[in-house]
Amino acid sequence: MTAMVDLPPVRSRTGLQRQGFIRRLFSEYGQEIIVLSAILVLFVVVTLINPRFISANNLTTIFSGNAYIAVAAIGMAMIIVTGHIDVSVGALIGVLATISGTLAVAGYPIWFAWLAPVVVGMAINAVIGILVAYARIPSIVVTLGALSILRGGLISVTGGTWITDLPPDFLIAQKRLLGFPVPLLVMVALTVLAALWMRYTAFGRSLYAIGGNAEAALATGIPIARRTVAVFAIHGAFAGLATILFATQLQVIQSTVPPNLELTVITAAVIGGVSILGGTGTVIGSTLATILFATIGSALIFVNVSAYWLRAVIGLLILATVLADMLRRRGRG
Amino acid sequence: MALRSLIRHETFLALLLVIVLFVLSQQSDRFFTVGNLLNQGRLMTEVGLIAIAMTFVIATGGIDLSVGSILGLSAILTGVFWQNAGLPLPFAAAGAIAVGTLAGFANGVIITRFRVPPLIATLATLALYRGLAEGISQARSVRGYPEWFYLLGQRDVLGVPTQLWILILAAVVASIILAYTTWGRTVYAVGSNEVASRFSGLAVEKTKLALYTASGFAASVAAVIFVSRVSTTRSDMGSGIELDAITAVVLGGTSIFGGRGTIVGTMIGLCLIQALKNGLSLAGVKGDGTIMLIGAVLILAILASNLFERSGTRT
Amino acid sequence: MRNVVFSALLALSFSTSLSHAQSAWTGADDLPTNPLACDATPATPAAADYDGGQPTNAPDRKGKTIKVVDVPKLVGIGYFNATSKGIADAAAEMGTMDAKTDGPSKANIDDQITLIDNYITSGVDGILFAANDPVAIAPVLKKALAAGINVVGYDANSTPDARQWFVNQAEFNGIAKAMVDSMAAEIGEDGAFAIVTSTFTTPNQARWIAEMQAYQAKCHPDMKWLETVEAQEDNILSFNQSNTLINKYGDELKGIFGMTSVATPAAADAVTQAGKCGSIAVVGLATPNAMKPYVASDCVKSVVLWNPVDLGYAAAYVLRAAADGTLTPGATSVSAGKLGDLSVINGSEILLGAPTIFTKDNINDFDF
Repeated sequence: MTAMVDLPPVRSRTGLQRQGFIRRLFSEYGQEIIVLSAILVLFVVVTLINPRFISANNLTTIFSGNAYIAVAAIGMAMIIVTGHIDVSVGALIGVLATISGTLAVAGYPIWFAWLAPVVVGMAINAVIGILVAYARIPSIVVTLGALSILRGGLISVTGGTWITDLPPDFLIAQKRLLGFPVPLLVMVALTVLAALWMRYTAFGRSLYAIGGNAEAALATGIPIARRTVAVFAIHGAFAGLATILFATQLQVIQSTVPPNLELTVITAAVIGGVSILGGTGTVIGSTLATILFATIGSALIFVNVSAYWLRAVIGLLILATVLADMLRRRGRG
Repeated sequence: MALRSLIRHETFLALLLVIVLFVLSQQSDRFFTVGNLLNQGRLMTEVGLIAIAMTFVIATGGIDLSVGSILGLSAILTGVFWQNAGLPLPFAAAGAIAVGTLAGFANGVIITRFRVPPLIATLATLALYRGLAEGISQARSVRGYPEWFYLLGQRDVLGVPTQLWILILAAVVASIILAYTTWGRTVYAVGSNEVASRFSGLAVEKTKLALYTASGFAASVAAVIFVSRVSTTRSDMGSGIELDAITAVVLGGTSIFGGRGTIVGTMIGLCLIQALKNGLSLAGVKGDGTIMLIGAVLILAILASNLFERSGTRT
Repeated sequence: MRNVVFSALLALSFSTSLSHAQSAWTGADDLPTNPLACDATPATPAAADYDGGQPTNAPDRKGKTIKVVDVPKLVGIGYFNATSKGIADAAAEMGTMDAKTDGPSKANIDDQITLIDNYITSGVDGILFAANDPVAIAPVLKKALAAGINVVGYDANSTPDARQWFVNQAEFNGIAKAMVDSMAAEIGEDGAFAIVTSTFTTPNQARWIAEMQAYQAKCHPDMKWLETVEAQEDNILSFNQSNTLINKYGDELKGIFGMTSVATPAAADAVTQAGKCGSIAVVGLATPNAMKPYVASDCVKSVVLWNPVDLGYAAAYVLRAAADGTLTPGATSVSAGKLGDLSVINGSEILLGAPTIFTKDNINDFDF
């Protein structure tokens, strides 16, 4: 049809010959497979040490308790695939959580309190997208600025007062559907939808083209500026969805910026295989990476790693994952 | 052409700094005094040293997010080498700087030999080095340094805070290297077009390796100054300082995509941020208001500079 | 791929061997401890000479309106909102104090130092502070004293010679006794417990844990200390860490201590959502408002805290007295408005009183 459908695939294939299914899978989803393997190895090893690790409750803690990070990382993966970055997402989630909680306590309908963070998140990030796309300010500059503005603004407005007395119906992250915790279902559903959208729609695939080679993308008729604003707005929507899970997990909302959340989200996206140079990576990888971090965090407590060395071990594992991916790519090329 | 637009950004920024200094001095008569301004120099030295090295790194199109963690690691090691290993303090500090430099070198190796993109590599080492600092310190602080050690961080030499001399020296040397040596031109060339630089025979990998090593060195020197200024070590020292340094660098006109940037710009950016923090506080604005304003200034300064530049190229 | 598996295994075996080499880490500091008596015998305060500092050439501020800045560890959390309110209340009552609160947005030693430095330059008459680090803050506070500014600390101390007075909310060993006794009453003398704290580098928390350990060893020797986990000042992380502890120890875990006003409600929520109310006790330091839902549902029986509004209030009065010259080295008590006379302990500290234990019966009387 048009050039858009023939855009470069998710990852360039190495040879012209037809490859076997397994090989192709590994070549296209190498990093995802590495992260998944690391998760499985951790599960096996830690379960051998302490079988309680795979108890239903602990699986809920690992998967459901960190789902909001995975959801935020989906939007971040899209931003990074497009060749941008957002360091303000943690502050944004703090602000949106406060808005959502305040509305819920003030007696607005529950659906409105859930919808508000999504809409406001889209609006704020659309402004960031406009500054990036039309005013041509690098995304790291805009989002560094936004980080300061959102963090300072939140403290100025709320003074840090906690939001309590949340209506029970508002607390969706504590509910179960078909026996599964809602955050887990939301995380899986959003990951699958976003992955399909990025792989099979013209819009989704155009993100890879913009991140891979913006000039070529422009030449093939992709409206880069409009798409950039749109992808920032979509990222804002995911931040809003992440906020709903984040804000409804406890009976109180701490109206401050969650410490280092932006770093966790960015790390999940890039360790999951999203190239910071843009152009490659999937949201499946970012979700798997979130699960990997959550698994590591829990595993280290289960195997009694001295808490003093915990962060060093996490850093070592992240580095090992990254290096393994690079060696794999090199071995292939 | 590129040079002209660059100078335009810095002129604009310098003008902005003058306006800010003027406005702030109208708000409080204690702002524009020699004593206060020198004192601000003391407070911005650590960020400044890191920002100088970061200017080079960003000018090659790279980034180093692990500087805050290297600072923490070197700070802890200064104390541990001195107290637990029993080394004389100058050797302890030198040892800590050596390890910090090595940490930067490790970043460089991961980036150049294993071809890991800088952002990912330094995100990973950000966690690793901070983790090492926590593990080594076991949450203990080392205190009680000899009085002479505070000369570095809390005393003056010739009426100027000691560490400000170091910052000025570093800025001058770095400006000369970046502006007048072939090596400096290599930095810009790598940042503009890495592939072309490689084909034209420039030592791309060696340059990058040296820059990340230098970044580690700057962060660990900053660590020793920091320890001397606050007279204690903590494993959480310097967390978040990477964002402060990057803010100063990009405000100073260094392109995050590489190929452009000057030390003068970074220094003006640094002074602008520090002047706002200090002056607004003296004028009675609270901390949360100040960080909001700094965020807005960052976006608006780059926006305005972009607009000028574009109107300039069109005519 | 083989590499990652290998390094994961390596890291795990490395870490497990590490953990076997040492006993459960506790998060305590290594300063000497001083556990209280097991019964209700009050500690006999040891007489100590004044060890605080004095402002140089301070002008005569007696009766004059003074400009005061309050620099807490960080702004934007309920606890320091409460202390700030207490300071404002006292200032309004006295009518001769012009007080404002300004602090860093993160509990960061450097930001706090910079802020105080700015206020010294701006020419305040008095500084109230809660230190993020006792030693790191000392140089800038000494600079304030040298500039003739009255300096009084509260909540978290600095080294004594860097300030005039420190208003101590409750002694570390007093908090430790209240916490461990409450826990023992709920889970019995042979119960096992774990701790959720902010970070191991936070001085107050490390001190409390050290004193709790000493007091538990002395007075409740059969209780079992499982482990301490870090959770920053992050309530979702505190929630996840508490859940992981519950999952790891199963029925063995009988109690969780929350060491911060962020960790305690999160731990209570984890216990509530795990359906373990009644079988896992939560005891901790927390502000009453955040704990009301859990106390009301009977999931949490006792919350330990002093009244932070009173703490700020007392700090403001102490600063006023120091500025007026009515509180001088060697004094044994100071008058603090509606709180009456507070006694001087440890040379240069003013004790607010014993910690309050909030229960279902009294928690609704407090609003902070």
